[in-house]
Amino acid sequence: MRIDILPLLCALRRNPTGAVLVVLQIAITLAVLVNAAWIVNQRIAQIEQPTGLDTPDTFGMIVGAASSEFNVQQAEAEDLAYLRSLPGVAAAAMTGGIPLTSQGAMGATLWPRPGRGGEAEGTNFLNASGNLLQTLDVPLIAGRDFRPDEIRTPVPGKGAQPPAEIILTQALAQALFPGENALGRAVYTADSYPLTVVGITRNFMDAVGVSGGPLYHAALIPFAPGQRSYYALLVRAQPGRRDAVLRAARQHIGASHPDGVIASLETFSSAKRAFDADDRNMAVLLAVVTALLVIVCCLGIFGLATFNVGTRTRQIGIRRAVGARRRDVVTHFLVENAIILAAGTLLGSLLGLAVGDWLSARYGLPRLDLAYLVGGIAGLWVVGQLAAWQPARKAATVPPSVATRTV
Amino acid sequence: MIGYYVRLALKSFRRTPGLTALMACAIACGIAACIVTLTVYHTLSGNPIWWKNGVLYAVTMDSWDPKSPYDPAQPGLAPDQLTYQDATYLFDSDIPRHKALLTLIGGALSGAPGQSIPAIAFTDATTAGFFHMFDVPFEYGGPWSAAADRGPDPVIVLSRNENDELFGGADSVGRSILWNDQRFRIVGVLDHWRPEPKFYSLSGGGTGDFGGTTDAFVPFRWDVTQRHWPAGTFGCWGSSPINTYRELLGSECVWVTLWVELPTAGQRRRFLDFMNAYWAHQRANGRFQRPRNNHLWKVSQWLKMHHVVSDDSRLLLRLAFAFLAVCLINTVGILLAKFLRGAPVSGIRRALGASRRQLFEQHLVEVALLSLGGSSLGVALGALGLQGVHAMYAGSEAGYGAAAHFDVQGILWALALAALSTLVAGVYPAWRIGRVSPAAYLKSQ
Repeated sequence: MRIDILPLLCALRRNPTGAVLVVLQIAITLAVLVNAAWIVNQRIAQIEQPTGLDTPDTFGMIVGAASSEFNVQQAEAEDLAYLRSLPGVAAAAMTGGIPLTSQGAMGATLWPRPGRGGEAEGTNFLNASGNLLQTLDVPLIAGRDFRPDEIRTPVPGKGAQPPAEIILTQALAQALFPGENALGRAVYTADSYPLTVVGITRNFMDAVGVSGGPLYHAALIPFAPGQRSYYALLVRAQPGRRDAVLRAARQHIGASHPDGVIASLETFSSAKRAFDADDRNMAVLLAVVTALLVIVCCLGIFGLATFNVGTRTRQIGIRRAVGARRRDVVTHFLVENAIILAAGTLLGSLLGLAVGDWLSARYGLPRLDLAYLVGGIAGLWVVGQLAAWQPARKAATVPPSVATRTV
Repeated sequence: MIGYYVRLALKSFRRTPGLTALMACAIACGIAACIVTLTVYHTLSGNPIWWKNGVLYAVTMDSWDPKSPYDPAQPGLAPDQLTYQDATYLFDSDIPRHKALLTLIGGALSGAPGQSIPAIAFTDATTAGFFHMFDVPFEYGGPWSAAADRGPDPVIVLSRNENDELFGGADSVGRSILWNDQRFRIVGVLDHWRPEPKFYSLSGGGTGDFGGTTDAFVPFRWDVTQRHWPAGTFGCWGSSPINTYRELLGSECVWVTLWVELPTAGQRRRFLDFMNAYWAHQRANGRFQRPRNNHLWKVSQWLKMHHVVSDDSRLLLRLAFAFLAVCLINTVGILLAKFLRGAPVSGIRRALGASRRQLFEQHLVEVALLSLGGSSLGVALGALGLQGVHAMYAGSEAGYGAAAHFDVQGILWALALAALSTLVAGVYPAWRIGRVSPAAYLKSQ
């Protein structure tokens, strides 16, 4: 089959406005499509990052003082004893905040050398006072847990001795000591106070990741601060028994302290959902708006093709009369559409790459993967040709006798 | 004449119902997408007290560690809160018309009739100026007096929600309530007041930028005399440990927000001079060793500095405009095609004496009718879309689902946008059709 491109180009040159407008639409649509798909993909990858925790079975609770009479240390000891005696509880621990949320978070910056030497890394400190790693269900990959004698508890009126040890997640250890073994090394706080790394855990998410920092930066210190009016309890239930444990714990702890209140209660699964919500919503909004955009673009292609067929009825009739088959007429319109699509996708590729560059410069997104561009071109090409298919078929039904009519 | 044009337009729609529906749909899609994204953007970037934008200022001074900036990601910025000593010194200035100290404290309210267990209450410790400068509406009672600030008196202002929960919405002014174990006299109950974002205190521990509420307000000095530790974000530097409240007050920890109302440029200049003089004096005594960075922040800048407007919503805004552009180009294309198809008729009308201007008007009427149909459909679609957004964001931690509602302002915006965009799209085709030479079309007949 032979296709004459030249007469097609001549026809386009005779009346370029409509074609140019469609080319512009295709270009913008392609640029938006590939970049939106790229962003959606990033967001899905974000959502699929594992928490590193036993998300379905664990919950946290913050109990706060409702009176200056509230004896935090006594209350937390009572609560912990109650929780550990509760059937269905796998492990329970006292700490300062609820992981996966920013509630009770204690931000800190660590340096690999004293005097703020080397690259600083942000993290969150989780107060560990025994059993915390078991409750979080986070295994150590090197070193050991804190020994009971290392855990500093507050002395009334004087606060607690500062801790001397620290446990880091693998990600934090690698960020502080790239390519080296962090175990046994000291890390330093802003005022050059040293903490010896005694253990390294598998990665898990804590407050830093939730508030937009490095996802798996977290650290445990064997310390309970002296000045506080609240404490956090973490409970890991046996599989499938979380809700029953949670109900019992809420009822008991809510009623057992006349001077204290449950300030917050959060399951890890709801915390993770809340953490993902913005990514998920952005992905959904982008996907919906982009799909609408492609539809509008197809409507444009369809409209132009319909118009072309409508204004060229006589010419089609003449071509049919001098021997063109129906198939030739369909091919004619599809090839014309293909020329427009080619121009549109070419312009759109340039525009899409420019937008991708701008996005990565402005918002720090990873550079656009060219596979997305290729996929976008192919996808737009397919739906673009499908949009022109119906008008082209309609053109083929023009009977040759049209050519002989004068009006 | 308009009536005739309208009849002509309707006739033209009937002649090509498919193309007409296509155009209306394209316009509707564009308008709907714009409404949804613009409303989300408007909500996320909104300044809830825009009418006082050049009047209210948040005060910052860089009292941070000489060796490293407060926020390494933005080294040019001072901490967003002040130390107690700086905040209270600046607060004592009589240059501002109103001024407010602010810090978040945790607590629980109890002792209301029929209440069995204490209810947790996010409480802001502040000063009476807060209610005046932020135009806070009261349902019952009013702010406490300046004397109560100095007293300090155990007086409390409840939010409307809290009053609904504790007193069933009854006028509770004059009654007493326990905040933790302290007895407070209720002096006021707010009317519905829930600025989004909660611009006045963006560093609230448990309450987010969006959806965060304050349940109760108590005098700042009362908080200090009772030694309640701040429950919001608070940052410290330096190596001296802080174990007592007295140490906290004298420390370099930042945990107090200061707002001032400075309506005139003269007042602003004088207040900055006052800050600078204080800064120089303190620097001579060994504090403030970082470069001078005394700043008064307008509310809009304050929100911007805190990144309340997320990159996401800015991206969505750009996407909305790209979408609208495609829809407009689409409409121009289809209108052009449609009008040119009717060119023979227009040619005859020109030959019979219609002026170019009349043809332009006739086609513009057709565009206007089309725009009307398309945008009504678009506004309906947009309202539907916002319902979706509302449902989607309901579970979000940011909680701005509540804010993304379809308000009157939104509808006006949408209608203006729709009318303007389709008219712009229709001008070129309508003008173009007026330029056709009648002879060309008469010949072929």
